[in-house]
Amino acid sequence: MQANLSLLLALPLFGALVLALLGRRLSRPMVERLACAAIIAAFIAALTALAGAWGETRLVPLFPWFSAGGFSASMDVLYDPLSGIMAVMVTFVSAIIHIHSVGYMRGDESYARYFCYLNLFVFFMLVITLADNLAFLFLGWEGVGFCSYALIGFWFADAERTLAGRKAFVMTRIGDVGFLIAMALFFATLGTLSLSGIIASVSALSVGTATALGLLLLWAAVGKSAQLPLLVWLPDAMAGPTPVSALIHAATMVTAGVYLLMRLFPVLALSQAALAAVGAVGAVTALFASFSALGQRDIKRILAWSTISQVGYMFLGIAAGDLCGGMFHLLAHAFFKSLLFMGAGCVIQALHEEHDIFRMGSRVRTAMPPVFLLFFLGALALAAVPPASGYFSKGRILYATLSHGGGLFTLYWAMGSLAAILTALYTFRLVFVAFFGDPAFPPKTWDIEPLPRFMIHVLWPLGALALLAGGLNLPGNFSGAEWLSHALRTVPGADAEFHGVSELAVSLADAGFCAVGLFLAWMLYGPRTAPGRRGPADPERFAHRMLRSGFGLDALYRKTVLTPFLALSGFMRRVVDEGAVDAAFMSQGVLWARTSMAARRLATGRTSTYLLTFLLGLAAICAVLLAKGA
Amino acid sequence: MTLYGAIFYLLAAIILAATALALTRRALMHAVVYLVNAFFATAMLFYLLGAPLPAAFEVIIYAGAIMVLFLFIIMLMGVKDGRDMDAKKALAVWLPPVFLGAATLAAGWVLITAPAGAKEALPMARATPAELGRFVFDRYWLGVEAVSFLLFAGLAGALFLGKSGDEAGKTAKDGQGGAA
Amino acid sequence: MIVPLEHILLLAFILFLMGAVCALARRNLVMILLGLEVMLNAAGIAFVGASLRWMEMDGQAFVLFIMGVAAAEIAVGLALLVYCWRRSGSLDVNVFSRLKG
Repeated sequence: MQANLSLLLALPLFGALVLALLGRRLSRPMVERLACAAIIAAFIAALTALAGAWGETRLVPLFPWFSAGGFSASMDVLYDPLSGIMAVMVTFVSAIIHIHSVGYMRGDESYARYFCYLNLFVFFMLVITLADNLAFLFLGWEGVGFCSYALIGFWFADAERTLAGRKAFVMTRIGDVGFLIAMALFFATLGTLSLSGIIASVSALSVGTATALGLLLLWAAVGKSAQLPLLVWLPDAMAGPTPVSALIHAATMVTAGVYLLMRLFPVLALSQAALAAVGAVGAVTALFASFSALGQRDIKRILAWSTISQVGYMFLGIAAGDLCGGMFHLLAHAFFKSLLFMGAGCVIQALHEEHDIFRMGSRVRTAMPPVFLLFFLGALALAAVPPASGYFSKGRILYATLSHGGGLFTLYWAMGSLAAILTALYTFRLVFVAFFGDPAFPPKTWDIEPLPRFMIHVLWPLGALALLAGGLNLPGNFSGAEWLSHALRTVPGADAEFHGVSELAVSLADAGFCAVGLFLAWMLYGPRTAPGRRGPADPERFAHRMLRSGFGLDALYRKTVLTPFLALSGFMRRVVDEGAVDAAFMSQGVLWARTSMAARRLATGRTSTYLLTFLLGLAAICAVLLAKGA
Repeated sequence: MTLYGAIFYLLAAIILAATALALTRRALMHAVVYLVNAFFATAMLFYLLGAPLPAAFEVIIYAGAIMVLFLFIIMLMGVKDGRDMDAKKALAVWLPPVFLGAATLAAGWVLITAPAGAKEALPMARATPAELGRFVFDRYWLGVEAVSFLLFAGLAGALFLGKSGDEAGKTAKDGQGGAA
Repeated sequence: MIVPLEHILLLAFILFLMGAVCALARRNLVMILLGLEVMLNAAGIAFVGASLRWMEMDGQAFVLFIMGVAAAEIAVGLALLVYCWRRSGSLDVNVFSRLKG
């Protein structure tokens, strides 16, 4: 077990190190094989670890890290079904994305750097997944932040892309502040940072402390998972290569915040207020982001906003106390969203970097039927069309929210359901506009570049999972075995049962919402709609402007945070720095310069003057001695 | 006043007179010769005070080596006239040091004569050269090493300055000319 | 019985001041070096006197050291003097005033 887990962590790290040190000397096939092999081997290690410790919770020590005073951080692994399944998912999706990247990055010269960062990212993500100690987890947390930064700005010659990377880095750091304070609070109250230790002694926490901790953890998760109010970095993060968006900004890193809340769910569960706050963030973000997704024209930005929205659902699931539902949606989302991103990447690359869905049209479908089919499978799952995976996972969350009871959670359910309608609408708007009919605007070129076949066909496992991952946890009234709930039953807090509302009724309602969304999409953007009406709304209209800019959140931050900050900086520079600090030092310098000019006259350069001062000194010493003796 | 006391005062007078003459001569050669006189008298004073080895070294090193070195240098450079001041400015040049020296002397006089023990006449005693030599090498062997090292460094420095003097002087002069 | 220590010290003190005044008032480099020699010699007399006063040989040992140091000093000093003579053709100490601030 220990060897297995060490291998799981060490393989991606080893790959990253080798690529960092020798990457430039290795040939391109060598680099690609090494990177992919490291991740595939890690996937196998994750699978065997899961099979070997099925349903068990184990604390596996790997390395002692450091300890100071009563504080100790060690690189231990807390292996339970939650982390085991998460590790399998991370390595599986990563492996497919690595192989896909071989094709996607075929024309790029910096392949060694790319795969090095990618391997490193997988390592840090696995650290988050497996770490027992919060300090160790934080190492991975920061590590994925760094890799995200480096990969968003991967094409660093483009200033806008590096700026996007910087924005993502800074915005997520705001969330990390919450994480750090939470760690300090954990240590102050429980005296340990070990997850297993925290969960074991969680009953010692008062409700007030638990609320504070819950809110701090929510703050941290909000930063990482791009929820309100820290979500503006994710749409800009689409500047990175598309497989990176698929891996980091859809499947794994943005769900790290959700995963953190799941790991520390027993702490959250102590405080109804914290849970309600998590639910509020999730529900509002889900609705907000699905509105924003409606206003986008860039295919990757649509998917980015939909990621934000879907992660909002996961928050909602956790708030409702449904750990399994949250995990279920996390897994399903990882499969279908990375699939959608990579499908979008294929389209973008085949159309010579065309991002605008209104310049695509049916030519894409006819030229690349497999890509369309894969994308369509992902869209089915995203829109929660039964029986695709998204239908069951999202349905489970909505069911848990509604059956949680209380006016607040009923409101959350209503918001989530509205967001579900919107999700179906924007998803099929995307599908209809990008793959059917004539483009509303003439494309820059009608040429379609052929893609390497393996790059497309490696996505089929994801396509199958997008469609069938619902089978992981089929609800009872679909005669399902609820495999995931069964697997996660030993995870603390994951054994909640939900009653009071008919699951069948909620499921049927979900299907109805989905149908409404599909119908709207068909009416507004369907292939039968007149081409003139299908075009994007007038970009100058207020409603459209609001949607496109994500309700002006960026501008709001610019106005409320950035502008005052810049004004303050200017004030500090002009008045405090130049006026006070610099002036003080300058006048001191002038004073010394004047004194030196005066003292300079003493230095005549004549030896006799210097000797005279010696004699003067001798006379002075004698005089002092005389005065003392007398 | 004992005989030895009389000899002391005689030697002291010779030393002071010879030194005063030496330091006020214009001709450098004369100054050096007067100073050699003073050093001989000092050597005898050392002998009187029971220090035969320093007395011998005074003659050998000071009067012999150092003063002869001065003579060589003076003859080498052909400087006969050591005159270095305007007659008009003589007072301005001499007055501050003499005044300061006199003041220091006055203060020092009081300091020296203040302790009661200083009034007693010193006894006769003698440290034989063998004794002193053994003592120095026994107690101050590290100092001896240090001095020998210093002498070696002085030798090297003198050699360097004398040897590279030509070229260094030339370049320095050029540099000076350029700057001017 | 010879003389009291204070007389020896007075002699040494007067000699020392004569050397110092010479080094100060004279402008000729050779004379300045001679003044230094006189000052060192004065220190030697004081040491020998003190050695006799306390019947310790340390004073005499220090005279030997002073002689060693004086020899080294004068070797370098005279070499510098020659160097200066070659450089500027003068031995007047006020010619060498480039250290002036």
